[in-house]
Amino acid sequence: MRKRISLALLAAAAVAVSGGVGMTALAQSGAAAPATIVKVATRRITESQYRNTIRDAFGPEIKINARFEPEKREGGLMAIGASDLSITSSGFEQYFSLAKSISDQVLDPKVRDTHVPCKPADAKKADDACTKAFVEKYGEMFYRRPLTAGEVAARVKTAQLGAAGAEDFYAGLKLALTSLLVAPEFMFRVETAEPDPANPKQYRLDGYTKAARLSYLFWDAAPDAELRAAAASGALHTKAGLDAQIARLQASPRMQDGARAFFIDMMQFEAFDGINKDPANYPKFSQAVADSAREQTLKTVVDLLVTKKRDYRDLFSSNETFINRHLASVYNVPYASAQEWAPYTFPAESQRAGILTQVTFLSLFSHPGASSPTKRGVKIHEIFMCEPTPEPPADVDFSKVQALDKGTVRTRLLAHMENEGCASCHRVSDPPGLALEHFDGLGQLRTKENGTVIDVSAEVEGKKFTGAPGLAKYLRDDKRIPQCLVRNVYAYGVGRPTDERDEDYIADQTKAFGAKGYKYPELIGQIATTPEFFKVRVPSGATPVPPGPPAKIAQAPAGANR
Amino acid sequence: MKRTVLKTAFLAASLFIAAPTLAHAAWTKTWVIEWFEPAHIYGAKTGVIDPGTDCPAGTNNSKPEIDWVDVMVKAGYTREEAVWLRDPANPTRSPVNGQNQMAFRGKDRANVYINPTSFPESGNFLPVSGTQAEGINLDGNATTGFVSPAGEKGIDNNFYKALGCWKTYRAPERLSSGALQFNDTMRNGSYTLVVVASGEGKDPMNDPNVTLGIYNSPDKLVKDGAGNISRDYTFRIKPDAKLEAVFKAKSVKGRITSTEAMDEVWMRNPGYDRELQLLKARIDFTMKEDGTLRGYVGGYRPWMPVYVGWVNARGPVIESLTWVSLPDVYYALQRYADYAPTPGGERTHISFALRVDAIPAYVMKPDASTTVAAATSYKAQAPAVVAAVAPASPYRAGGTVDGIVVGRGGAVSQTPDQLRPPAARIAAGTQ
Repeated sequence: MRKRISLALLAAAAVAVSGGVGMTALAQSGAAAPATIVKVATRRITESQYRNTIRDAFGPEIKINARFEPEKREGGLMAIGASDLSITSSGFEQYFSLAKSISDQVLDPKVRDTHVPCKPADAKKADDACTKAFVEKYGEMFYRRPLTAGEVAARVKTAQLGAAGAEDFYAGLKLALTSLLVAPEFMFRVETAEPDPANPKQYRLDGYTKAARLSYLFWDAAPDAELRAAAASGALHTKAGLDAQIARLQASPRMQDGARAFFIDMMQFEAFDGINKDPANYPKFSQAVADSAREQTLKTVVDLLVTKKRDYRDLFSSNETFINRHLASVYNVPYASAQEWAPYTFPAESQRAGILTQVTFLSLFSHPGASSPTKRGVKIHEIFMCEPTPEPPADVDFSKVQALDKGTVRTRLLAHMENEGCASCHRVSDPPGLALEHFDGLGQLRTKENGTVIDVSAEVEGKKFTGAPGLAKYLRDDKRIPQCLVRNVYAYGVGRPTDERDEDYIADQTKAFGAKGYKYPELIGQIATTPEFFKVRVPSGATPVPPGPPAKIAQAPAGANR
Repeated sequence: MKRTVLKTAFLAASLFIAAPTLAHAAWTKTWVIEWFEPAHIYGAKTGVIDPGTDCPAGTNNSKPEIDWVDVMVKAGYTREEAVWLRDPANPTRSPVNGQNQMAFRGKDRANVYINPTSFPESGNFLPVSGTQAEGINLDGNATTGFVSPAGEKGIDNNFYKALGCWKTYRAPERLSSGALQFNDTMRNGSYTLVVVASGEGKDPMNDPNVTLGIYNSPDKLVKDGAGNISRDYTFRIKPDAKLEAVFKAKSVKGRITSTEAMDEVWMRNPGYDRELQLLKARIDFTMKEDGTLRGYVGGYRPWMPVYVGWVNARGPVIESLTWVSLPDVYYALQRYADYAPTPGGERTHISFALRVDAIPAYVMKPDASTTVAAATSYKAQAPAVVAAVAPASPYRAGGTVDGIVVGRGGAVSQTPDQLRPPAARIAAGTQ
């Protein structure tokens, strides 16, 4: 009779062995063993990073059906908010359930031979050597570094218990794998620093932390074997070694994954989770349309910036994109393809220009039943210019802008702006949005609202333009656009918001970005090669301790990596 | 005008390059059918089965419903047997076998579904008695037939007369069980029909030379946020060697009517008999200001496939759910059949009209390369038709034989009476 082993108990035991986040025993491998190490940040991995890691380890066939813990936006980016996140008890249950599901799939009798690097001597009994080989192989992928002897031993022990109870080697291995997948060292990126041999009293990120920063920035995935090897050898601490890895990462098609993840974050695509449209006003809206819109924008971004290596600012003016049947209906154009997606270029008469005139931006940043020049304008400033707009006062009277059955939104906003407290922000936020008013709350072309011809002229800081094409040109020429991208890429990579100490760096990088033609892949590589990308800000209060088996990592106070 | 392709020099040139063999119209308008059903009028002011000008007694067999125990007793079963056969606890009334015993109520226990004349007409299946009907004047005779709601005389729609009081077809527009069943199937993606109209004149609304085609499409309908079929989607034409209906017509003030009857057309049918043959077929459509298209496709359809279609849909189930004795349907269709393909021959066809609602859509050539240039025949592009082996019996469909459900491998379990088709017939499909 099979004995049931409490998976929760075993996993909890495994976590206890490793000490949990912040008490992680760190592998001491690499060319130069540090005297002391300091934890500078923990960043919870995102859903896409989790998925990519599992895909890299076991292939795309593994189904990942789970609801992930919500992420948190800080300083304009989820990547920054990830540094503040923990996991709730209910969230851990989700991760645990998912881990069991993955283990079951990986070690299904039909496919397990492709995943397990060895055969047990007796399939009905534990096999410590085979378990160790399995745990070491996948543990390094998940932890982004080699496991310590203690971490391996804990899983081997878990597998022993499981195999003995079930009289099945693979049942034990499932428990070991599950334990790895719920370990905090997997679910959190633990960034650590070590004394810099070249600069006494200074710290540098250790090789594995550098590797992870690079890999997540370029590929949105855990470091592959080659990158981990470069970390282990110390090559990432050398210019030649770092340049070689950056060139390799840049040349990979997986750059597309990295670009998708970055722009999903920067463009606030989590708003798709809550998008809702009044079917009376926008009957064409559906979940299929929302999903298609999201994918359209990502395909456009990746195609223009990564595949074609075009000028970043072309995002605001290029009409080259991709559509499918659902989007063709919303854009009211024929879909001339038998494939699921097809390249498409909006004609001039479409009045569209760039990603701001795609369904994604136009529908995400509108009301459920109406367009919103204010929301659109606010988001243009916030997302693409890094200029957040203050929240409106709590007692503001919205009644005049909510009378949707009269006139155009411009006239309603003018009435609303009679309140001087509102006007100061609206004067800045609204003009770009008003230029987009030929597109309704779903992104469909229109020329009238309530029977009145819509005026799409706008003026910002003395610059006059008309409609989406005019706005596109205005944005394309605005220096804040590339500077904001540089700021976001850097903050995304290092996991903290920029501050006044970074301004010179951002300015220099923006200048270099322009000198290279505003190419996004160049920008990623350019930032990754700067010392600032790996710069360590030792948390105040951190107490470095010497490593040893097991080494304790100094604790950083909350938010210290900010 | 929306989705009207004008013959500009640029477009003409580009289309010529793309498909030099196709004719190009001066204008083309395209739609996808979002609903179609037999053109029946519900004559009551309320409800879905109430008495009305069409059916003064209300929907047939609605009050009272058929007492199937009584029917079975009259067919020769003892009351105990009949009660048991209709008892929901009877395991032979399982979802697999339905109420198969209901088939064997004909003379000498004949299966009434395949021998409808072995069972007498009930007298309760009444025809439509009103004078008003929707449809088309098929024979050009204004002195026969119904009067349309707009006052047009000579409307030929004996299908409505024969079956218009049957629950399957009687209800306000879009609410009859038949219309709901087959349109739900279409709207959920089972099949799609597109409509293409094109003309040679400058004004689509007034053009003496219009061609209108109805074609299959491989692309599914898509519902919008309100559950309706979404406008402006794109559909390819799927060439079909058989199911294609192309009409010669004219347009006057947006109304497209046939200029000649088409001897024979075929199209997908919203019914169990999936292929609809129409002889002397005509159309009467109106292009609405909102871009939609509404109207009729009419002609004489063979009536026997209608009856067979309902039998093959599991006769006992249809009878129980739709308040009908299927032989009554046979008798009614036979009685009101009004067209003989061979002059002086048997009236194998009955006048009929489909009411069609279509919404604006983009319709592409079969290869999806461009929008269609004109309503024309695509049969030449259809895959070669593999000659079908004529079935030994029309009464075989899916898991149904002779109108009743058989188990896997053709087995029929019947208790307490071993009332089942002979094994040889199940195997051969003949009796």
